[in-house]
Amino acid sequence: MIRSNPEELIRKTIARFVDAEIIPVAQQLDKEGEFPREIFQKLAQMGTFGIRYPVNKGGAGGNTTLYCIICEELARGLVSVASITAMQCLMGTNFLFHHGTDEMREEYFLPAMRGEKIGCFCMTEPDAGSDLGAITTRASEVEGGYLINGMKTWVTDGPEASFYTVMCQTDPKKKLRGIGYFFVPRHFPGVSVSPRFECLGTRTTPICEVAFRDVFIPKEYRLTPEGEGLNSFLKIIAEIRAMTAALAVGLQRAATDDSIKYANERVASGQTIGKFQLIQAKIANMATNLEASKLLTYKAAAMIDAGRDALKEASMAKYFATEAACSAADECTRIFAGYGYSMEYSAQRYFRDTRFLLSGGGTHEVLQSNIARWAGV
Amino acid sequence: MNIIVLIKQVPNTSEVKLDPKTGNLIREGVETIINPDDLHALETAVTLKETYGGTITVLTMGPPQAMDALSEAIGMGADKAILLSDRAFSGADTWATSYTLGKAIQHIGDYDLILAGRQAIDGDTAQVGPQVADFLGLPQVTYVFDIEAVTTDYVVVKRRLEDGYERIQCSLPALLTVIPGAKHPRYPLVSRLLLACREKAPIKIWNAADIRVTTAEIGLDGSLTQVIRTFAPKFERQGEFLEGSTSGMVQNLIARFKENKLI
Ligand SMILES: Cc1cc2nc3c(=O)[nH]c(=O)nc-3n(C[C@H](O)[C@H](O)[C@H](O)COP(=O)(O)OP(=O)(O)OC[C@H]3O[C@@H](n4cnc5c(N)ncnc54)[C@H](O)[C@@H]3O)c2cc1C
Ligand SMILES: Cc1cc2nc3c(=O)[nH]c(=O)nc-3n(C[C@H](O)[C@H](O)[C@H](O)COP(=O)(O)OP(=O)(O)OC[C@H]3O[C@@H](n4cnc5c(N)ncnc54)[C@H](O)[C@@H]3O)c2cc1C
Repeated sequence: MIRSNPEELIRKTIARFVDAEIIPVAQQLDKEGEFPREIFQKLAQMGTFGIRYPVNKGGAGGNTTLYCIICEELARGLVSVASITAMQCLMGTNFLFHHGTDEMREEYFLPAMRGEKIGCFCMTEPDAGSDLGAITTRASEVEGGYLINGMKTWVTDGPEASFYTVMCQTDPKKKLRGIGYFFVPRHFPGVSVSPRFECLGTRTTPICEVAFRDVFIPKEYRLTPEGEGLNSFLKIIAEIRAMTAALAVGLQRAATDDSIKYANERVASGQTIGKFQLIQAKIANMATNLEASKLLTYKAAAMIDAGRDALKEASMAKYFATEAACSAADECTRIFAGYGYSMEYSAQRYFRDTRFLLSGGGTHEVLQSNIARWAGV
Repeated sequence: MNIIVLIKQVPNTSEVKLDPKTGNLIREGVETIINPDDLHALETAVTLKETYGGTITVLTMGPPQAMDALSEAIGMGADKAILLSDRAFSGADTWATSYTLGKAIQHIGDYDLILAGRQAIDGDTAQVGPQVADFLGLPQVTYVFDIEAVTTDYVVVKRRLEDGYERIQCSLPALLTVIPGAKHPRYPLVSRLLLACREKAPIKIWNAADIRVTTAEIGLDGSLTQVIRTFAPKFERQGEFLEGSTSGMVQNLIARFKENKLI
């Protein structure tokens, strides 16, 4: 039976979207730094946000591999559009989808799939980043539900959000084993949202702090059953790392493609700069790193799709692909030389946007120490 | 309202090059897309369906890879798709292509409207739509950019002219060839793209026997025209910039004119 290959078909469709709708305006959007509402709505109309969820439950019937393909292609255009999409498809809606009630589905999940509501993921706190066991946001059991108290920071999309999935401590004595996820609509009394942060890169992605003061939520808004918080975290963090690796692959492609094009055009000392061996060495490293990044990323994604534990592979992919993206963006600015320093060209944007990939999904110091432990030391 | 849309898968952009030795198109590594006019035909069909109901069947003749064009059409909202694929179809000129498409349409049977693109960006003849209409004995309107009214018996359409447009009422069933209109063709729905990839997708593959044609009527054998040679034109004329002071350049120019016996 002849049929189209879903991975190629989705890639081709999103690539067409990126080439027509994002790349021509990427520099402008980045300069303005506003939430890219129009592009977000178009992605919603295509049903992109449901890529990881089954069709009969309001999704598109895809999987993690297809999700990563979409993230990669979007990041090739503009990392901040990719990160907003990534958040809406995965972290912003995942626990709501799996553990929310039918009413919550109608009121929040389906509108999120249509792009009418935006969801966020709140784990990091002012005094707890890498060490999530140290979070102090509390969910205390009260009659009929929970009271949420605490402060979250670095909330991607926070200023635009309608609801938050919040990692809370239920029992400080249990440290990591006491954590769980709780659903908090923005309009509930006691929720306050800070102005957006001024950031170095991914400038269309708004980020802020969110404070919770005696916010009452009903019992069913607890999204992870008692004792399952840590497991849920380990599962989603693997997928977050695979996705971040895919964003890094997309960014590498953009930096590499621009570099190759420029190396074939720019003339110095009577020849195109691509004829210089030192420029060739840069391009060779970029192309090789890109290939290796793709293999690591899509291996991790395939393992997740097969239901296997992929934390190690996803961590390696995120670490390698992001370092490769940092190097590709760095080399790109060197190949463009003076023009790499100009705000008119994209090279500087790639350079700034790599910093987003470095901390999201775990810093590389933390990843390296995890990988070393898995390797046996 | 039942609509049949004819679509063609074409190589993307004008970057397509001819192999200087064989004269054939170099297709390797060139991305394929749905012919741009055909995207507008699809958009028109889906918009009509949203207003008047009915079903949309997409038809293409092409190699197995043309399946992607059909999957995208399903993604945009077509209900069913048919791929006409058979080695015997290959080498068809526009006559044989139109004949094959016409036979397939007769085999589909039930339709009120057939939409085609005005012109394919690779073959560029703009002959297929009109020839299919002629074969089926249907009225046709070409260069349609807007459909103003639809009843069970007729459509009212706007047809682009060089310096304006014509408003035409045309009885149904009819064939329209479409050019870009006001509305940008929609992007496919991700869920429908994935549906199109499944084994149980509403896509059929028909060969020559399925549409009751013999090999003598189709493909290279059924073609009335023969391509003797295909070649990329050589650029033989070359511009030249004259340099120097204004009076120097004018004198130089006059000298050249005289040299070439132009004055
Ligand atoms: C653009 C952006 C968007 C973000 N979006 C979100 C979001 O939506 N939701 C969310 O919850 N969080 C988000 N974050 C937060 C992000 O997850 C944290 O920045 C990250 O977990 C690191 O925490 P920290 O910044 O507090 O650094 P710290 O944990 O304070 O680390 C400081 C330094 O110490 C190192 N370090 C810390 N612990 C160790 C260790 N055990 N071993 C070795 N070195 C160590 C780190 O690697 C780093 O170099 C975002 C961050 C950024 C920059
Ligand atoms: C003289 C001649 C000889 C040829 N010989 C060969 C040959 O040997 N081998 C070969 O591969 N090709 C050959 N071709 C090309 C082939 O015949 C055309 O590509 C085909 O007939 C479509 O014509 P076109 O591209 O000009 O489409 P147009 O007439 O410009 O297309 C108009 C519209 O018709 C519809 N349409 C066109 N083609 C199809 C299709 N296949 N399926 C469904 N709908 C369609 C689309 O809606 C399209 O927008 C030849 C063409 C000519 C003119």
